[in-house]
Amino acid sequence: MRVKDIMEPLIDYLSPDNTLKEAVNKMRVSRRSEKEIGVKGMIVLDQDKKLVGIVSIKDILRTMIPAYMSYTELGEFTWDGMLENMAKRVADKKVNEFMTKNVITVHEEDPLMECADVIVRHNLQRLPVVDKSKNVVGMVYVRDLYYAIVKTLLDTEA
Amino acid sequence: MTAETTNQVVINSTFWAATLIFLIAYAVIVSERVHKTIVALIGAGLMLILKILEQHEAFHIEEFGVDWNVIFLLISMMVIINIMRPTGFFEYIAIKSAKLAKGEPLRIMIIFSVVTAVLSAFLDNVTTVLLIAPVTLLIADALEVDPVPFLITEVLASNIGGTATLIGDPPNIMIASKARLSFLDFIIHLTPVVILIMIVYLFVLKLIFGKRLKTRQELKERILTMNETEAIRDPVLLKKSLFVLMLVIVGFILHGIFHYEPATVALCGAAFLLLISNTRNPHHYLAEVEWPTIFFFIGLFIIIGGVVKVGLIKWLSLKVLELTQGNLFATSMLVMWFSAFASAFVDNIPYVATMNPLIIDMAHQLWPELEAVKLLHKPELMPVWWSLALGACLGGNGTAIGASANVIVVGMAERSGRKITFLKFMLYGMPIMILTVIVSTLYVWLRYYVF
Repeated sequence: MRVKDIMEPLIDYLSPDNTLKEAVNKMRVSRRSEKEIGVKGMIVLDQDKKLVGIVSIKDILRTMIPAYMSYTELGEFTWDGMLENMAKRVADKKVNEFMTKNVITVHEEDPLMECADVIVRHNLQRLPVVDKSKNVVGMVYVRDLYYAIVKTLLDTEA
Repeated sequence: MTAETTNQVVINSTFWAATLIFLIAYAVIVSERVHKTIVALIGAGLMLILKILEQHEAFHIEEFGVDWNVIFLLISMMVIINIMRPTGFFEYIAIKSAKLAKGEPLRIMIIFSVVTAVLSAFLDNVTTVLLIAPVTLLIADALEVDPVPFLITEVLASNIGGTATLIGDPPNIMIASKARLSFLDFIIHLTPVVILIMIVYLFVLKLIFGKRLKTRQELKERILTMNETEAIRDPVLLKKSLFVLMLVIVGFILHGIFHYEPATVALCGAAFLLLISNTRNPHHYLAEVEWPTIFFFIGLFIIIGGVVKVGLIKWLSLKVLELTQGNLFATSMLVMWFSAFASAFVDNIPYVATMNPLIIDMAHQLWPELEAVKLLHKPELMPVWWSLALGACLGGNGTAIGASANVIVVGMAERSGRKITFLKFMLYGMPIMILTVIVSTLYVWLRYYVF
């Protein structure tokens, strides 16, 4: 099997000009499957549908933490309500200010092993799948790869 | 040497080559187009490869070469601080101070300024503000007040405090080494005026911010409930570091009496702390030394050595003497005020590296019969050294680029979403710089020329 055999279609994406609040809302209402609503990450495409970044809930969490806390360990000295205050303060930040810009992708014709290697090496949850002209054609999630493994093991046993 | 030959500078092609290297290197350093360390090393390389300065002179001759005293003092203090930094000492002090101030903004501003000044007097200014400023931003967030006045007043205090001792600021380290001044000399001559300046400074802070800084009682509670002991991440290493730091400071105080160089004291301190820190691998502590700064010094010393050797510095000193007519009070004042404004806009390290040999050359012209320490410590010359130190250190407060600590704080504020523009910094810094140099002027005048 190749990546294109297990990938899921690309449904929703963010624009670099979306605000953090808009991004959170888009991710909340995005349909993951028939039953589930809400995703934990989304790719960012510019006007020409070119891939420019990816946003995960961890990127959003990171944006909440004030920059000065990265210089030294100050976590013990925070207070009740601080996170909520910060969330309101950064609500209008643009997606291109907090997205991960170095997006790792796989090609639709790549073998699954390459996909697994990349996901484990970089500790990823999702990978955009691109075609020859670098357009995003779908997404591969950790669970898709896992299902592929499950299928292989359990189908041969049966 | 007769008086006549000392007054002559041979202007030949070597003179021009060295002068050109010096001028271009300094211009590129000021332009910031290329990293200053690279510029200094290229300049040094040119001085050597063109044989303006022999490698032997650059490496082994005190008059022309690298000042290893400065280099090893800097490296050793950096190693000690690298071991101390992760213990949480600075964060502990900052949180404790905020609690002592009972969360009152003006009191926090004043106590933080004093703490920053005292720490900067014994440790380097950049490390001090790098660790105090994040806590300041946190405290300002907790109190829901604008952090910018706190950050700026802190960094100004850091530059003032750094002026107080031999190890407080790189210009002082360089002056001490060249002029053979001891730690105690600095304590006797500079610490009193710095304390005076701090008192004036704090008074000004109270005047400006006394009515403006307000917060609510429930926000102060956030500070009061913080537990500063949680900041200490390695209590054992902290105790060891403080013990060694204390030994080093005692060593500094005694170095003049026992005829040790400060670098010897610091080097032994760093080695001893490495030993008792029980580290199996000192790589990390040594790698964290700010090598670009160290190599910047090395390159600069060689460039300066070149222009000293060809006589450019002597030529400049003759011009200064012409200007001041040998009047030493005028020289002190000129040196102090010129240094202050020069250091506000350009790096004070290359500036002082140039001024040191210039002042020594000037002294040679004035008292050709004296040599070595007798010349360097001539009572009439001493106020010139102190004026240079005061001008170069306090001048760093003038603009956002005047001192490395300023650059660090401005950068940190920006990343935390609080931009401090060049003009905004100058609005605080320039008046304080002028005020502190006026206090220094009065001090030098009264102490060395009136009484």
